[in-house]
Amino acid sequence: MSESGVVVDGLVKRFGSFVALHGVSFVVPEGMVVGLLGPNGAGKTTAIRILSTLLAPDGGRASVAGYDVVTQPQQVRAAIGLTGQFAAVDEDLTGRENLVLVGRLTRLSKEFAQERAAELLDAFDLSDAADRVVRGYSGGMRRRLDLAASLIASPAVLFLDEPTTGLDPRSRLRLWEVIGRLRDEGKTIVLTTQYMEEADQLAEQISVIDGGRIIAEGTADQLKTKVGGDVLDLRVHERAEASAAAALLADTFGISTAEVTIDDELGSVLIPVTAGASALVDAVRALDGAGLRVADLGLRRPSLDDVFLSLTGHLAEEPRPDAPEPRPRRGRPRI
Amino acid sequence: MSTVAADARHTIIEQRAALSPRRVVGDIALVAGRNLRKVQRSPGLIVFSTIQPLMQLVLFVFIFGSIASIGGGIAYRDFVVPAVLVQSIAFAAMGSGVGIAYDLQSGMIDRFRSLPIARSAFLVGRTVSDSLRLGLQSLLLVAASLVIGFRFHNGLAGAVGMIVVVVLFGIALTTFSAFVGLAVKDPETVQPAVFIPVLPLVFTSSAFAPVSKLPGWMQPIAKINPITYAIDTARGLALGPGVLYKVSGIHLSTAFAIFAVYWVLIVGVFTALAVHRYRVG
Repeated sequence: MSESGVVVDGLVKRFGSFVALHGVSFVVPEGMVVGLLGPNGAGKTTAIRILSTLLAPDGGRASVAGYDVVTQPQQVRAAIGLTGQFAAVDEDLTGRENLVLVGRLTRLSKEFAQERAAELLDAFDLSDAADRVVRGYSGGMRRRLDLAASLIASPAVLFLDEPTTGLDPRSRLRLWEVIGRLRDEGKTIVLTTQYMEEADQLAEQISVIDGGRIIAEGTADQLKTKVGGDVLDLRVHERAEASAAAALLADTFGISTAEVTIDDELGSVLIPVTAGASALVDAVRALDGAGLRVADLGLRRPSLDDVFLSLTGHLAEEPRPDAPEPRPRRGRPRI
Repeated sequence: MSTVAADARHTIIEQRAALSPRRVVGDIALVAGRNLRKVQRSPGLIVFSTIQPLMQLVLFVFIFGSIASIGGGIAYRDFVVPAVLVQSIAFAAMGSGVGIAYDLQSGMIDRFRSLPIARSAFLVGRTVSDSLRLGLQSLLLVAASLVIGFRFHNGLAGAVGMIVVVVLFGIALTTFSAFVGLAVKDPETVQPAVFIPVLPLVFTSSAFAPVSKLPGWMQPIAKINPITYAIDTARGLALGPGVLYKVSGIHLSTAFAIFAVYWVLIVGVFTALAVHRYRVG
């Protein structure tokens, strides 16, 4: 497989009798953003902690940038940047001091660390606060600083463990913007999230993880297609014409009228289709040919929430009552 | 990616991953510098952790000093000051574990563990900065003691020796405190968790009275208590071996030898435990 990027093969991790990872495998090719999507307790953080050498696996293999996480941990550390669920920044230091410290501990010269720190503070909109102590930073500023610290030595692979958990919507959007920029620059990123929307927005490839197993993989589109095709959402101009339109489109797509949902009151018709965008064109042609006037016509894709629900039978953002949270950081309050 | 670029990147990664003695020292210095900057940013910590033992000094010197007599031609004041210093620095050393628990909670330890630095740098850096902090605090306390009437009886070398012993004992306790900090993980719990075992050890030592004057049941405890030997060594150095023998019935060399054995044991055991805790995360 690829020399660089991340290769995870049959990773197993147990905490006492609780199995956090049941042989997880996935690949992150060079230059790709891969999202690990799953609910709390699915094993996302455990996987990231193993990949960043913070935790030893009980089975399986993993390599990062071509280095084995168990036998070459020091090389792995030299190749990665890690931003965890909690902004790991020193409250008593200024933003700039935090970045320079991490830069120097990653072997940058003092001058270069300072130069990089200034660049990143600027890029992450932290220049004004650069020489203030972090204690006074907002949650969003801390996360951005944390991300800047992970990037100071231009790592080959970046791990983002639930980078926006606990942030307000505005700060989340801002962080998405920053991560989107990194994706566009071609950074190799492993991102964990329990938010469908986040995976959809940022990841080019998604691995759905649940109960310590990868249960589906693909692009957001592929996952949505897996759940079933799209839905044509038609609103006719004359409510009375709804059933005529329904019959016509059922005929056009070769499905039985029983599969079509008609809402006479709204004059709306929902037709499941598999052909995607071309179905839209076909529908317009057929309706136009029959002289049926269209008020609104759209193609609706199932959301990733639909995907998760259909794959697992439960929603991603709700903690499952039957799966205990693996607690790699015992006794640590989860904020 | 081209092979050339890949090779160049692997070269950089290998260079960053490599550890040399110089790098290890540099990492320790960076970590220690960061800790000292934190101390400097919260001067209240030093001020208050110096004021509290000062009040104790005043209590012992002016109140107990006027009613207690120790014999051997030595003022109770001079007898008790080295003990109050050992005790104060021992308690100040407990701050180490609290700081470590905060680093654990804030994710800083994960950050350090995910960097290509020497594995020892975090804990050794902590010890270096703690030693400097404890050294500064001992000097402040010695100066305050001299102001309220304490006198050294064993020359400058003895005075310096006493301060070194006080700081060394503090360092031993920082290793215990570091282990507790890593094991307990919650900053608010660390304080009582280190205080509870150490406080009774202070009271059942030779701190406030010679072992022979302690209640009978307490004497065997005092005789195996490491704090007894830290204090007797500090006392012997401050007041002279003759005075120590007269009031406590122990030779300075004996006290020092036992202190040294305990020191190696405490530092060895708790460093090993703390390093293990740090590594497994």
